[in-house]
Amino acid sequence: DHFMHACNSGSSISERSVFLSPPALADADTIFALSSGHGRCGVAVVRVSGPASATALRCMAGFTQRLPPPRTALLRSITDPRSTEVLDRGLVLWFPAPRSFSGEDSVEFHIHGGPAVVTAVLQALGSVPGLRPAEAGEFTRRAFQAGKLGLTEVEGLGDLIHAETEAQRRQALRQMSGELGRLYQDWSDRLKRCLAHVEAFIDFSEDELIEDGVLNRVDVSVSDLQAEIERHLKDERRGERLRSGVQVVIAGATNAGKSSLLNKLCQRPAAIVSPIAGTTRDVVETALDLGGFPVLLSDTAGLRDSSDLVEREGVRRARERVEQADLTLVVVDSAHLPSEHLRSVLPDTGTMPCVCLLMHRLCLLVLNKADLLPEKQRQKLDTELRGVSGLPAVRLISCQTNEGLKAFLTVLHSSVKTLCGDPLFGAPTLTQARHRAHLQRCAAALAQYQRYRDTDLALAAEGVRLAVTSLGRITGRVGAEEILDIIFKDFCIGK
Amino acid sequence: MLRKKLPFLHSLLSPVSRHVGHLTGHQYDVIVVGGGHAGTEAAAAAARVGAETLLITQKIHTIGALSCNPSLGGVGKGQLVKEVDALDGLCGRAGDWAGIHFSILNRRKGPAVWGPRAQLDRQRYRDFIQSELLSTPRLTVVEGSVEELLVTEPNPEEPGHHRVTGIRLANGSHAISARSVVLTTGTFLSGSLFVGQTTSPGGRIGDAPSSAGLSHTLRERLGLRTGRLRTGTPPRIVKDSVDLSLAKLHLPDSHPTPFSFLNTHTHCKPEEQLPCYLTFTTPGVERVVRESLQLNCHIQQDTKGPRYCPSIESRVLRFPGRSHQVWLEPEGVTSDLLYPQGLSMTMPPDIQLRLIREIPPMRRAEIHTPGYGVQYDFVCPTQLSPALQVKSTQGLFLAGQINGTTGYEEAAAQGLWAGANAARSALSMPTVTLSRTESYIGVLIDDLVSRGVTEPYRMFTSRAEFRTSLRPDNADLRLTPKGFEEVGCVSSVRYQESLRVRNSLQDALTALQALFLSTSSWKKKLPSVPISETKSTLLTGLDLLQYNDVTFEMLASAFPESLSSFMEFAQRLKIEAVYKPHCDLNKKEIERIQREENMSLPQDIDYFSLPVSLSDEVREILDRVRPSTLGAATRLEGITPAAVVNLLNYVRVTEKKKETHRNQRQQEAQRDEELCANSASLPQ
Repeated sequence: DHFMHACNSGSSISERSVFLSPPALADADTIFALSSGHGRCGVAVVRVSGPASATALRCMAGFTQRLPPPRTALLRSITDPRSTEVLDRGLVLWFPAPRSFSGEDSVEFHIHGGPAVVTAVLQALGSVPGLRPAEAGEFTRRAFQAGKLGLTEVEGLGDLIHAETEAQRRQALRQMSGELGRLYQDWSDRLKRCLAHVEAFIDFSEDELIEDGVLNRVDVSVSDLQAEIERHLKDERRGERLRSGVQVVIAGATNAGKSSLLNKLCQRPAAIVSPIAGTTRDVVETALDLGGFPVLLSDTAGLRDSSDLVEREGVRRARERVEQADLTLVVVDSAHLPSEHLRSVLPDTGTMPCVCLLMHRLCLLVLNKADLLPEKQRQKLDTELRGVSGLPAVRLISCQTNEGLKAFLTVLHSSVKTLCGDPLFGAPTLTQARHRAHLQRCAAALAQYQRYRDTDLALAAEGVRLAVTSLGRITGRVGAEEILDIIFKDFCIGK
Repeated sequence: MLRKKLPFLHSLLSPVSRHVGHLTGHQYDVIVVGGGHAGTEAAAAAARVGAETLLITQKIHTIGALSCNPSLGGVGKGQLVKEVDALDGLCGRAGDWAGIHFSILNRRKGPAVWGPRAQLDRQRYRDFIQSELLSTPRLTVVEGSVEELLVTEPNPEEPGHHRVTGIRLANGSHAISARSVVLTTGTFLSGSLFVGQTTSPGGRIGDAPSSAGLSHTLRERLGLRTGRLRTGTPPRIVKDSVDLSLAKLHLPDSHPTPFSFLNTHTHCKPEEQLPCYLTFTTPGVERVVRESLQLNCHIQQDTKGPRYCPSIESRVLRFPGRSHQVWLEPEGVTSDLLYPQGLSMTMPPDIQLRLIREIPPMRRAEIHTPGYGVQYDFVCPTQLSPALQVKSTQGLFLAGQINGTTGYEEAAAQGLWAGANAARSALSMPTVTLSRTESYIGVLIDDLVSRGVTEPYRMFTSRAEFRTSLRPDNADLRLTPKGFEEVGCVSSVRYQESLRVRNSLQDALTALQALFLSTSSWKKKLPSVPISETKSTLLTGLDLLQYNDVTFEMLASAFPESLSSFMEFAQRLKIEAVYKPHCDLNKKEIERIQREENMSLPQDIDYFSLPVSLSDEVREILDRVRPSTLGAATRLEGITPAAVVNLLNYVRVTEKKKETHRNQRQQEAQRDEELCANSASLPQ
């Protein structure tokens, strides 16, 4: 046939997901999510929306005969439909369509706020046929579809979805950087290879030399993967303890006093402090209780270009941690403000060094070493800061003299409180429920491969495709091009 | 059941190949430039839609020539042939007429990925295509070389936007005007040929190079981005010089399956089919390639390299120490040549001979025509709309290799769609699009226009996410009604036939579902089928047909009164039954995508000033790609769910505004009419 070589194409659009569909604008799935905050709340609200809502109500709140009257709170035992074990006693409400928040059939469970109860209820819901955890902004989007949102709410919808997507992304990043993440990534790599080899066998084996052994190796891989995923789903400990709490990260240039701030906040010398720039080289992590809210505070290496290998790794980890943070405390040596040096270490697009950071994530600007600032400069700084719009909360403090610390703590406390009130920020149980649902789908899809392996390879391959899609919702999109890359790397395709 | 015998060609040639001078000043609806697989389908489709069409080609007798391999179809490509046929295109019927070796590839891998394929007789294929075109109403064919594309000055209100007005031919100043022009120039756009260390201008050996004028107009005048791609072809081998007893005999299917939904059998009788032969490369082949590398311009210039390696040079260089397959294929019933599939090469002719003689059956082989390479320009297809129209130039359509694809089938599919749209546009009808959820043609076009190409684009079934629904057996159900009702490129004969098939299949499925029996009754009816008796559940005939060992024939003989009338569709019904649960699952996702694709994004949006909350990055992506629908935007890398919702909201609001505006205008118009009516009734 033709042989073809690309020389120069102007196209620059890189990757497109074919196996993974983008988030739905509307569909007939039934979704659930925790709609109240986590942390210290007495009551948690779990919402269900979609056609199977009534099923969830029937099999979890014991309404076998008929459904409860609409929009009426009833006290019920909430049970796990698989084991019929009672998980909690709480209020249930039934909102038949269209008179519900989303315009669809909806159910609300008002249960006790402890993480164990919430996790158990979410997992029980995940086991009800037709139910899956909601994607970012999906409830609101459905409400939008049904015309249930007012004009101002619609305008804020994009921002809301953005915030939710970001929160989920951060939560997923945290999990993916751990042992669990490595496990999922390994599964994903093996699955992609399986898919590439099945696809190669379908698309090329009649013309090319692709040995029959290819498919036998896929068989082995698929059954191994299926067994591993199923074993993982059964393991109640599920690998590792998930870090919970609001993730607060201290970041900034070297010698700005980041470690001093950490020590001040946890009221003990958790990190080594010295006047030498670059003292902190790894991430120092401390769990705190901040006015009743769980906080995981991390001190990071100062951001600067360094030739020292160890320090460079520390800086890389620091940037990674900032990526995952719910809230970043940007510490700046006030004597250096504004300075060329700062602009070079923090990505800078505007007048202030951290403008770029602010655009995408929550942060507080901490101007340290106030004690070293002469009065005149202090006033100048004050007017300068007032002149810049769009800045985050700024606090001038001194870790040396404790000046401004109290005011700073108040701001920090209120930020953490706001974050905890948002159901999505740093809620590992929800991520866990979502992962479980995707893994269950993945395992079921692999069973489809086995079922059709000998009778219809197109339907068998469909199983592997679905498995890749499901796992891809945890580990990241997989595009058709990525699969073709593996095919062309592993096989000589000449036609 | 071919509908007609081929008319004697010479009687047709004279009236149509008139002197081009007669055409000057003539106004056509559509002009198609190029007579390859894209051009012929484009011209025929445009004429079927109802446009006065002119096809311009360098030589009438090379219309429908198979420039490279003598075969059609295959895995993925066969799906395209079936779809082109379902839209009443030419290549499926031409394949049935010219085929001399039919086989369904992937026969044991499931009907969704079956690959209908045929070896072709080159002469018969050309004859069929030429006879079809020359007898197509509203279609004129002339010989000529296009020197220039005529376009208007850019519209001052829309800078950079042109409208096509016609073409100018070389050797003279003939301008021929048209409302739409379809360019299908293949490898001729600034093409150069490579053999060994020599390079010469041209797009195919034996043909004159095309003028540089067209390339210039596209780049300089219209400002289109272009890139460069390579292709090549193997040497043709003298059949008598090959010892075929040393190769493995490969027989065709004993019952040839036609490509076309209109044909029940092929022109070639089953017993008259010709075999193919399979042989393998040896370490000697690799040695010759390595020794001659410095003499091989085409390969030396291969700096970037595609991910697949179709020339023998890149095959042995990328996968050394292996034995590679070489197929020896017949070129036709009376041809003395063999086509060595897998041996594309560009080294000097004497070394080509040395190379092929390293392969046992070709120890004493002679080369009739050496292999060569071609480099040519393509237009980056992201500059096209899903109708294959250049976004910045009203009336200009591109199809085939000019869009960066490879393969006859890919070219034919684009040609048909570009031709139909060129005609619709010329006749002031809205252009039409095919979704990737309903066809491989849709997948092909969507991939091209929204993703672009970095290597020659070839169809694989793995590119179609709804592969289990887009099967070769149901292309007629998917496309023929749409082709007639919405596009106008399908004849009413074919349309009626597709309706008959659709209704019969529906009736048969209903009849199967109406057979509602307990497992024990089924066991009595079909004693040979292993039905588990443990549960005494009720099963329908459709459930039973999903069993591996159950055929429709078995059910029909058990229930002749309700099923025997559908025997004609036995195989299709079996496939429908097995795939039904999976297609039902796909359906929801397909409907969602189609909803999003129905929300069009205006092409003239200024994304940078759009008053919605979008990041600069997202604005840049949208501005660069200019997706034509919300669905296309959703699939772009870097477009966030938030951005999609904001766009959706924008589209809704603007549509609502437009609607109110339209209503107001209608009311005003009504008022005006009433006023006129009132004034008319006033006494004079």
